[in-house]
Amino acid sequence: MTNKRKRQEDFQKVKLKVGKKKPKTANATDTNFASKTIRLSEQLKEDSALPTNRRKLNITDLLSQMHHYNAGVKHSALVGLQELLSLHPSLIDTHISNIIAEVAAVFTDKEPTVRMAAVSLLKYLTPLIPQDKVAPFFPLVSAHLSSAMTHIFVGIQEDSLKILDVLLDEYPDLLIDRSSMLLNNFLELISHQKCSKEVGGEKQSIWTLSINPNRKITSQKWRLNVLGRLKKFLHALVKQAVERFPNNEHMESVFSANKLSDISWTEYANGNQPIKVFSSSEQEKVPFRLRTLVGITGNTDEGLSSTNNLKIFIQSIVPLLIECWIEEFSGDISGNLLNPVSHNLLLLVLSIISLLWKLSEHQDPSQKMDGWLRKCYLKDFKHHFMKRFPYSLCETMTQKKKIKSKDCVLTSNGLDNLLLNLTLCDIMVSLASTETLDEDAQWLAMIQVFVTEKLMYGSNLNCKQLKGLLEVTSRLLNIQRNRATTEKLIHAVYMVYQQKDLLFPVRSMLLNFFSKVYLKEEDICLNLGRSRSKVLSRWLSNLPLQLAQLGTKNPNLSALMIEAIYTAAARSNKELLKSLQNAACQIYDPEDGAFMFLPSESQQLLVQLMYFLPHISSDLLLCLNRCIKEKLPSTFVSMLIGILHVRSSFSCWTYSAQESALNDTDYFSFLFSTLTGFSAEKLTCMQNNKSHQICRTRVSRVSLYLTDQAYFAHQWIVIKAICQSLSSLSARLQCFDILQNAIIKHLGGLVVIPDSTAGAILCAINTLHDRCCIPNDNLNRFLASCCYSIFNFLLTREKDVEHNQKRDPLWGACISLLSMLPNVLKLMLQNLQVSKACQEELPVIAQLLRLLLQNTQLRSHMITNAFLVQQTLQDVMNMKSCEIQEQWLTDLQYCFNVYLSKPPNETAVRMVY
Amino acid sequence: MAAPMELVLSTDAAGQVANCSVWDPLTGSVLLTYRGGNSTGRGLAVLGGQYLLGGQLGKNYINVWELQRKDQLQQKIVCPAPVTCLAASPNGLYLIAGISQSIYLWEVCTGRLLSIINCHYQDVTCLTFTDDSSHFLSGAKDSLVMVWNVYSVLQVEASRGPEPRHLWSLHSLPITDLQCGIGGPQSHAVTSSLDQTVKLWDIASGDILLSVLFDVRIMSVALDPAEYHIFCGGSDGSIFQVDLLSWPVHRDRTFNQEQEKVFKGHRNQVTCLSVSLDGSMLVSGSHDETVCIWDIQSKQCLRTVTHRGPVTNAFIITAPANMLKADSKPSFPLPRFNKHLQGAEGCEGPESGGVILRLGRNQQDFDGTYLQRAEQLHDLLGESEGKNLSGLVEQLRSRTSELEEELNMVRKINKDLFDFSASIITKQ
Repeated sequence: MTNKRKRQEDFQKVKLKVGKKKPKTANATDTNFASKTIRLSEQLKEDSALPTNRRKLNITDLLSQMHHYNAGVKHSALVGLQELLSLHPSLIDTHISNIIAEVAAVFTDKEPTVRMAAVSLLKYLTPLIPQDKVAPFFPLVSAHLSSAMTHIFVGIQEDSLKILDVLLDEYPDLLIDRSSMLLNNFLELISHQKCSKEVGGEKQSIWTLSINPNRKITSQKWRLNVLGRLKKFLHALVKQAVERFPNNEHMESVFSANKLSDISWTEYANGNQPIKVFSSSEQEKVPFRLRTLVGITGNTDEGLSSTNNLKIFIQSIVPLLIECWIEEFSGDISGNLLNPVSHNLLLLVLSIISLLWKLSEHQDPSQKMDGWLRKCYLKDFKHHFMKRFPYSLCETMTQKKKIKSKDCVLTSNGLDNLLLNLTLCDIMVSLASTETLDEDAQWLAMIQVFVTEKLMYGSNLNCKQLKGLLEVTSRLLNIQRNRATTEKLIHAVYMVYQQKDLLFPVRSMLLNFFSKVYLKEEDICLNLGRSRSKVLSRWLSNLPLQLAQLGTKNPNLSALMIEAIYTAAARSNKELLKSLQNAACQIYDPEDGAFMFLPSESQQLLVQLMYFLPHISSDLLLCLNRCIKEKLPSTFVSMLIGILHVRSSFSCWTYSAQESALNDTDYFSFLFSTLTGFSAEKLTCMQNNKSHQICRTRVSRVSLYLTDQAYFAHQWIVIKAICQSLSSLSARLQCFDILQNAIIKHLGGLVVIPDSTAGAILCAINTLHDRCCIPNDNLNRFLASCCYSIFNFLLTREKDVEHNQKRDPLWGACISLLSMLPNVLKLMLQNLQVSKACQEELPVIAQLLRLLLQNTQLRSHMITNAFLVQQTLQDVMNMKSCEIQEQWLTDLQYCFNVYLSKPPNETAVRMVY
Repeated sequence: MAAPMELVLSTDAAGQVANCSVWDPLTGSVLLTYRGGNSTGRGLAVLGGQYLLGGQLGKNYINVWELQRKDQLQQKIVCPAPVTCLAASPNGLYLIAGISQSIYLWEVCTGRLLSIINCHYQDVTCLTFTDDSSHFLSGAKDSLVMVWNVYSVLQVEASRGPEPRHLWSLHSLPITDLQCGIGGPQSHAVTSSLDQTVKLWDIASGDILLSVLFDVRIMSVALDPAEYHIFCGGSDGSIFQVDLLSWPVHRDRTFNQEQEKVFKGHRNQVTCLSVSLDGSMLVSGSHDETVCIWDIQSKQCLRTVTHRGPVTNAFIITAPANMLKADSKPSFPLPRFNKHLQGAEGCEGPESGGVILRLGRNQQDFDGTYLQRAEQLHDLLGESEGKNLSGLVEQLRSRTSELEEELNMVRKINKDLFDFSASIITKQ
């Protein structure tokens, strides 16, 4: 029954009728919706918090995929990570610890592709993360690196070198902190330790070279790889050591010995800079850091900075290096020709040794170990390296290869042949010392001949080669005491120096070399009284002429030369001073001499050089005078005038029997012409000038030529400096006479005088005047007319902005002169002939009188001249054309009444009686 | 009247009235005068509180007076050349003098000339000891300042000259004055130069601490005892006061005349400056023939004492006990000072004179037995002798090789000449 009923329910017949709508079936799809897009919610797991890469994986996904067992997944995760980080660099900051931990973990991955990806990611990451940020994680990184370097799989070992490269490029300091671990790893990469039983003699090293047959590349190539890295690493070490224990030689540059450096406590607080502690005993200079990196990076090891460790390392690595070389070269005994591969190997070996030597030089100065090195290795080196000493490349090989590759690589290959030999020289020479000169004479002579030859005939040395050559030469010079040999060496370098077209860096290197040698020679000469090198003195005495000829072509080179000249001049080298004297006029020439156009530092040195000149001729003074007129910077002007004053016979700074460099008359004429500021021709030319620059007045004989503002300011500084020199002269009376005569002779006849000159004369008279000096009438008259002209100029052009600056100095000079010489004031007042003046000038005269009356300094003198003032006042009143009482006249009358009419209390007393 | 605590000693170049006059800075009254000759700048020194020494101006001797017997010249120390500057060590053991380019060092108790230092290239201008007499500083016209450890100067072997502990070469023109602060080897030194700068240095490290640039040449310089200020005497007669504690710290600054303190009063260059022990008074001597006493706090001139010539020396000392007692005697006799170096040819060697003990530099941290010490001393002596010899041999050898070289050259020239003339003759 139930069945039946069900069936009926299921299959109910739908009755369709005409005119009625067809009912909807139960399973019909409702299609009346609209959608713009189709969304697949599964794949839309958009996490707004974390950015993702193109495959929509965020950083946590990627990092977790690193642990995946499948190499492919790991590889894609690394690639994805790089992509993600390049899209969103900000992620690095937030996830730095995770990223570094995970990336470091795959250093030792078994799959080469994964390691490659890790290296490329690391290459991308390291430039973005600064050193101080990565420092806390570095123990981890270095642990992984170390484990990769010592890994049993050869492939991992090889790739670890690439990682090392990347890290060494960006974080050398951090790697250096773990140097002892890394150096050990290097040793293990190319060698293995002997069993303890085999260790027989003490000298026998416990390491021997190993050969791993499983490698894809030959063991030679592998060693080249490892040694190349080792060299790079040692290079970084040396760089740091040089900073920490600067050698004397590097400090020796004369001027920059110890520059002023501002203290910044943040540097100390970060532990970037050590604090030096000094005790009274000279040796213990132990720097300490306020905050070491030890706290962060865990343990710190001394590495090679301690002598003991360095000794141990040298003991283990040097025999290995020698062994490498023997293995490479023992086969073919074809003289001293090298094929490129062995050339490379030898270069590596030698440069590693020379780096080690350098490290030993920069040790704590208290514990040097030259003797030890010599004792251990001189014999070996002589036997293995020096026997075939001047190495050269095998020509046939190079030519063959040249045909093959046709690259420019080989040309460079051919060149660093010299570099190889130089490195060897460097190593060997540093083993020798003055005491052992006799034993080593043979091979030292060989090296000397080699170096001299290369210098003499090496017309096309490049910068690096020359640097090497000079280094070896200076070492040789240090050792050699014999004048004949040193002379030869210096001469060879001088030949190079004399070549015409040297580049600037080469030239400056040579200059530095020479000045260093010179300084050393000066020292020796003082102490031992030995004769001087002829070549060196020739070089020195040629310098001034070269400087003069160089002119302004190369300011940097000039600066170097000036420095060298200066050091020699300060040490009173006679020949140099002589040649400097001869060249001085050219150097200080105002038109085309070097002096005017060099940068200010060089100019300053040149000014100071003037002090050391034994004799300053009148020609040179003329040059200097013109230089000052040509706008030498004002700071140097006063310095120059001061130095000349010190060198003149008037300064008597020290009472030694030092002869003065200047002739007295020359000195005075220099002072006077500098005071005037214009040459005689210019002054005569000015007399007929009728331009608006001349300020005329009818009352005074002298008209003023208005100089432009900048010139006046410059000239005023010159005047101040000269007045200072004048003020310290001892025989004032005579000096005053000289000045007086000079003024009357050269300026007295002029009608137009520049305002700066007028001011200068007033100032000079002010400083030189003494109670006993009595100026003669001519001078008085001249001064009076000068004063009036200046007053007139100041009052008429009061509103002129251009001349505003001149006002104060000129006014001050006039007033102090008038107060000092009342005769001049009297003369000036007498000369105020109002009858000559035109109407426009009347207010000026009135104003001048008023100002003079108001001045407190002049009041007493004005009172004595009251009669003259009154007369002038009368004249003005009479001359006045218009009838109206003008303001200026009222003011003058008021002032006159206040200051010059009888004192009020006196009149009051009279009133009473 | 109670005896004054501090005295001013001053000399002038004319020396008409007296060579050196001693007066009380508080009253300005002259207490003593020493007669005979006149003294050079920086050439006056008090030795051990017993003697007064003054380098004669332009002549090659040093005048010596007993402090209490003012009229009578005690001795004239004859030197090879005029003395340019002079200093006595505060403990009275050594006397140094700059004589043209070299520095002479005498031992006071024996009068021996212990060392002649030839390290300056031009005339030495000023010398000073540190207050514990362990170091001295020298400045010269070659614009170098050198710091010397007295003991290492004495210890050095003859073949190589002594080396300065520091060499300061940052000045670019001759040094005019130098002064040393308090604190022995840890103290600071201040130097002035014609290059218009004053520089402050640390003796322990040799570092430069401060450099101040002025508008004028600086002729003299002084530090106050607390090292709060540097006083610098300019060539235009003004004295500049540089504050060392001013903030912010600039290591390289320019002196601003408007804002900072200037003492104005002298009309010519200020040649000497000195600060009293309590740091309240400044004494300045100038070429305008006056010595002024200034109150540092208010910058006022308290007193002016005129001289007859340009003032060469003026400084304050604490009054020695026996200076004003005419009947007292000096506590140690003054020996004859030697003109020649000890041990040089013509002078008696050490074997005839007796044993000279020179204490070494490791004196302070030494704790061995006497036997060990003797052994070490012996070693040292042997070593230095050996080195001495080897140095001599070395020198001789280089000399012979030089001579040989020369001889060869002469031979060659001779041969050439011969060949040339022979060829001419044969042609004819």
